[in-house]
Amino acid sequence: MKTSRGAAILAIITAALLILPLVVHDTFVLRVLTEGIMWIGLAIAFDVIAGYTGYLNFGHGAFFGIGAYTIGILMMQAHLPFWVALPLGGVAAALTALIAGIPTLRLKGAYFAIATWALSRAIQQLALNVEFTGGPDGMRLEAFLNPLFFYYLMLITVGAIFLVLWYLLERAPFGLKLKAIREDEEGAKALGLNPTMLKMQSFILSAIPTGILGGIYAYWITFIDPSSTLGDLVSDQAVVMVVFGGMGTLFGPALGAILIFAFKTIFWAYLSDFQLLYLIILGALIAISVIFIPNGLWGTLVKRKAVARPQEKPEPASEPAALSAVAVPEEGN
Amino acid sequence: MTEPILKVNSVTKCFGGLTAVDDVSFSVEKGEIVGLIGPNGAGKTTLFNVISGYYAPTKGSVVFQGNDISGKPPYHLAGVGIGRTFQVVKPFAGLTVLENVTIASFLKHPKKADAERHAWQVLETTGLADRAHLSAAGLTLAGRKRLEISKALALDPSFLLLDEVVAGLNPTEADRTVELIMKLKAQGLTILIVEHIMRVIMNISDRLVVLNFGKKIAEGTPAEVSSDPHVVQAYFGEEAA
Repeated sequence: MKTSRGAAILAIITAALLILPLVVHDTFVLRVLTEGIMWIGLAIAFDVIAGYTGYLNFGHGAFFGIGAYTIGILMMQAHLPFWVALPLGGVAAALTALIAGIPTLRLKGAYFAIATWALSRAIQQLALNVEFTGGPDGMRLEAFLNPLFFYYLMLITVGAIFLVLWYLLERAPFGLKLKAIREDEEGAKALGLNPTMLKMQSFILSAIPTGILGGIYAYWITFIDPSSTLGDLVSDQAVVMVVFGGMGTLFGPALGAILIFAFKTIFWAYLSDFQLLYLIILGALIAISVIFIPNGLWGTLVKRKAVARPQEKPEPASEPAALSAVAVPEEGN
Repeated sequence: MTEPILKVNSVTKCFGGLTAVDDVSFSVEKGEIVGLIGPNGAGKTTLFNVISGYYAPTKGSVVFQGNDISGKPPYHLAGVGIGRTFQVVKPFAGLTVLENVTIASFLKHPKKADAERHAWQVLETTGLADRAHLSAAGLTLAGRKRLEISKALALDPSFLLLDEVVAGLNPTEADRTVELIMKLKAQGLTILIVEHIMRVIMNISDRLVVLNFGKKIAEGTPAEVSSDPHVVQAYFGEEAA
């Protein structure tokens, strides 16, 4: 019952987002929405490795930038059409995850965060110093100025990412296996799980959608440079959104992305004289949320509900079933 | 006599200059409960870790059902039928009891619905079904030890390594765990158990292997071992022997 209500709410939101451009013709609003949707995708992709697997990746932005640059280079230098280049952006990000994961996924906790951060800085420096990326001058893509196209492309892509991740992480065994790695890697081994393999799969699963979103971003914005796509911004913002929204869930990061992005947009659009204040408020908000709601907004909401429920009606399944010993109680999920 | 299910052949495990397990050999027959005992620091847990794949032996080999498994990773050994518990329990604290066990059930039941059904059955056997939806972090020590057993059992193993699953429990809880172990033996499981509580280990073991300072000092039925002068000396010192 709970899941069907959730599905209904999601369907309504999706329908609203689909028909919205027919009602709202303001390009600014459309642009903000497109970027907001992109951030939802980036946050949930980040959460695959950070929340579900417990590896805080401070190099998430590198996947985004590599996706963006792959599309830029393939379109401008190899003259491939966008639809051919786009999946290759995902492939490039996946390869990066594979190569970067071999040394870094052996590390844990802060060491993993530091190593991935350093690696992403190295990639940014590389893009600044080689010819084919345009170095610090960046790269201009063939302009395709159709806000409606990008709005729908972003919406459909992020929708697809959400569905795939939801299936893999919440429906299939994969998500639970990742959580086992997060909770206790040594203990997971004894249960037949290969942590190296699972962490690598998780890292790649996090990288692919991020690379694809980077590609769409590049074509949409038409200009990329090392600081806008390979800088700290993507990683840092993803961390903030996921921690604030709630790690290890899909709805948490989505909620975090919406709130943080809305907050940021309002500040930049209407209160641009107080930019310094934006960072101060954001920092304070994060500190407060880490201290008072360590499970994030979504985690806190869900927990409060879970605590309230058993008092209303106790779990009916187990006691009689334990006596009959054969009967299997209907799953409570 | 049939081939033993587990053969430990002159296993030695060194950590730097320290020899934790020194040239230990023994075997376990199918359907037996073998107790591994010895004073603190005798090398019992190290030997467990060698058998379950957490450490590769420095010398010697471990043969399980005719195959050399020395140095194979734990997740491979889980696949061939070796289940183990940890002395320092390792619950997945952020997950529910049911989820903890379901993860182990995935080994033999790759579909989530099947794995959950299987996990329920295991929880009924081990008496945790009424706590299935609790967070594993919320269990008592007795509950967590039971969860350890449940997870190992959910692998549907043919061979079970139990590392101090009774120690730390009150007498009632201990009796329930012993009952469970006997039930598992009756189902045909072979068990190697480390335990400090003599009352328990003497009662349930068919045979005992005694370690001291990494070496095997005795092997035999509980009655034989308890009258062995080396064993008495190891436990009570020179004069008692």
